[in-house]
Amino acid sequence: MSEPHWLFFVVDRLAELRLRTGEHIVLTAVSTVVAITAAIPLGILACRRTWLRGPVMGSVSILQTIPSLAMLAMLLAALGKIGVIPAVIALTLYALLPMVRNTVTGIEGVPAEIVEAARGIGMTARQDLWMVRMPIATPVIVAGIRTAAVVGVGIATLSAFIGAGGLGQFINRGLAMSNTSLILLGAIPAALLALLVDSSIAAVQWALKRRRKDEIHRTTPFLRGVALFQPFVLVAAGFFAAYSDSTDTNVRGGSHEKPSAVIKIGSKAFTEQFILGEMMAQLIESHTKLAAKRVFNLGGTLICHNALVNGEIDVYPEYTGTALTAILGRSTVRDPGEALAIVAKAYEKRFRVDWLQPFGFDNSYSITVREDDAVRNGWERISDLAGKAAHLKAGFTAEFAERPDGYPGLARAYGYQFGDVVDVDSSLMYQAAAKGDVDVICAYTTDGRIAAYKLKPLVDDRRFFPPYQAAPVVRNAALERHPELGRVLNLLAGKIDNATMRRLNYQVDVDGRSAREAAREFLIARGLIRRDHR
Amino acid sequence: MIVLSHVGKSFDNGTTYPVKDLSLEIRQGETMILVGSSGCGKTTTLKMINRLIEPTEGTIEIGGRNVMEQDPVQLRRSIGYVFQGIGLFPHMTIRENVGIVPRLLGWSPEKRRAEATRLLELVGLPDRDYGSRFPDELSGGQQQRVGVARALAADPEYLLMDEPFGALDPVTRETLQQEMLRIKSRLRKTIVFVTHDIFEALTLGDRIAVLHDGNVEQVGTKEELLRSPATNMVKELFSRPALRSAAFADLL
Repeated sequence: MSEPHWLFFVVDRLAELRLRTGEHIVLTAVSTVVAITAAIPLGILACRRTWLRGPVMGSVSILQTIPSLAMLAMLLAALGKIGVIPAVIALTLYALLPMVRNTVTGIEGVPAEIVEAARGIGMTARQDLWMVRMPIATPVIVAGIRTAAVVGVGIATLSAFIGAGGLGQFINRGLAMSNTSLILLGAIPAALLALLVDSSIAAVQWALKRRRKDEIHRTTPFLRGVALFQPFVLVAAGFFAAYSDSTDTNVRGGSHEKPSAVIKIGSKAFTEQFILGEMMAQLIESHTKLAAKRVFNLGGTLICHNALVNGEIDVYPEYTGTALTAILGRSTVRDPGEALAIVAKAYEKRFRVDWLQPFGFDNSYSITVREDDAVRNGWERISDLAGKAAHLKAGFTAEFAERPDGYPGLARAYGYQFGDVVDVDSSLMYQAAAKGDVDVICAYTTDGRIAAYKLKPLVDDRRFFPPYQAAPVVRNAALERHPELGRVLNLLAGKIDNATMRRLNYQVDVDGRSAREAAREFLIARGLIRRDHR
Repeated sequence: MIVLSHVGKSFDNGTTYPVKDLSLEIRQGETMILVGSSGCGKTTTLKMINRLIEPTEGTIEIGGRNVMEQDPVQLRRSIGYVFQGIGLFPHMTIRENVGIVPRLLGWSPEKRRAEATRLLELVGLPDRDYGSRFPDELSGGQQQRVGVARALAADPEYLLMDEPFGALDPVTRETLQQEMLRIKSRLRKTIVFVTHDIFEALTLGDRIAVLHDGNVEQVGTKEELLRSPATNMVKELFSRPALRSAAFADLL
């Protein structure tokens, strides 16, 4: 398309852009305000009780070193909640360091002769603090607030991983779907927002600054009033954009009838999960009176699982292999049926969660080569590589290269090793194979890029890779309250084989279609929803 | 009257005493100059008078009351203080700086304003020209005039001055010394003034106390000190600068 298709791209998503920007402003504003009310007293305390300085500065510094995703995961575990609250807490904790440090630096930085004068003329410690030190330290403290707020706008993009919304939604989705436009749709407004927040605080500082006589004519009370007032307008606009209802049906989906209840559908942060989430949401919307709320883009298995167990979501797609190893902490099981039986039983008992019937595909690892190599050498099965392996260069993800159920186990099971093994990122390995940088990769069976780059997954003839069958996992409570839910979601049972899932992923990852469209088209083609359904 | 009796101060639990067994009487209405070389204990002595430093030994009485028995904050508000580093509050206007002690004392804004106007007039910086400026718009000499005005606010009976003109250039210093003479003859405050500048001591002092190694070497009027120095040290202290300036006198 040579037309300015980015314009349509943006216009199509204006409603969501407004919602996400609003959420982003609210997250940043609330956490900044909470952090200010905590950090300034902490900084003052650290100055007045010098023995507290070390512990206070130490703790806020340690908080700062915790990686953002780890912080979110920890808060999630501690609070048992996803959404805005853990996000605000995390952002607040990160904002503490610059604010506390600048408060201490500002107060301590008041010149010694001024401090002596304050004492010498008979100020109490309190008067010294509030009449002299704090006013002189204010520019430094405000600088700390500005730093914290700008960094906060950046970190707030990660809040999308725990379902708190914000512009990170676009970025995560874009990253998951290798869609640069989506990444930019989140990143550019976030960058602009950072600049806006910074200048907004700067304007307040400007308005509050005491002026020399010869400077006063350069400003007017009106301008200063506007400068003082504007952050409130910004934050109010954020709240309005985030919480006013008009955008809801548009963005979050849902039928136009008044729904009797809302089913919250979760997904992890990659394409396949969005598509499956969409399918489940659209089925619920067209076959029941329930509304579907999409809580997509959650940052990983543990976050999804915790959200499900705590009732933050009602259902999400999970894989049997992942559930066995990551959630139940057990070793993998070769037989797909057995694996499903084990997880279903354990989930029911431990979490009061049901495994519904699998969708039909198995998203495992597959040893994958270029198609033309395969044709030339007659490679069909993994064992076929045995003779040539010493001359082949493998590109594996770091995880696959290390895990016992990855390369080490594979080498043992098939009795050969590749000539050379290099680390590649999972998002780059398909391209690396296509370009000939590596000859063999550990592709995900259902990845759309296998077809896009003309690659061929080899048959696991010794059944080394454990099954990763996908199925909806649903809270018992939701199924009991809405028995129709299980019936409707089971409409998808066995309907999506590996090739179908790969094709759907391809439509989104490579053709740039939305997960919503791809899912809808599939459901219509299979006669699962009617074309006139919206 | 300020009476120091056997005052001592140690900062290291009695190992060394920057001030040791120092006794001195400052009479009502006189200007007492504490003079001596660096490290003689003159600033420490001054700061003990308003408890910026607390004495380890001995007693200090102001108007017959032991300073250690008074609330330090109230005590300091009743004593004017001019600092070596000037120490004006940079975020306050000149008028607010001068009115700070009255503000601490809870005066009404009108009364504070009137006091600031009166004192700024006294130090030659009329309120209408300077009152709403900020300290960094003034020269060093002007700033220290404000420092003097601030110390005089709320009309304290006593005034402590810690090398107030030490950082100023010689011409400005001379001008301020002359003004100081004028102010002190008008207000008749009891002043304790620390300096290491002999000429400043001779110009401003009603009496001069020469301090050496934390103790008083000699106290007296300038005539007494010049005509009958008690020790060699006192003699040296006064004769050497006099001889040096005499060497330049022919050129002028």
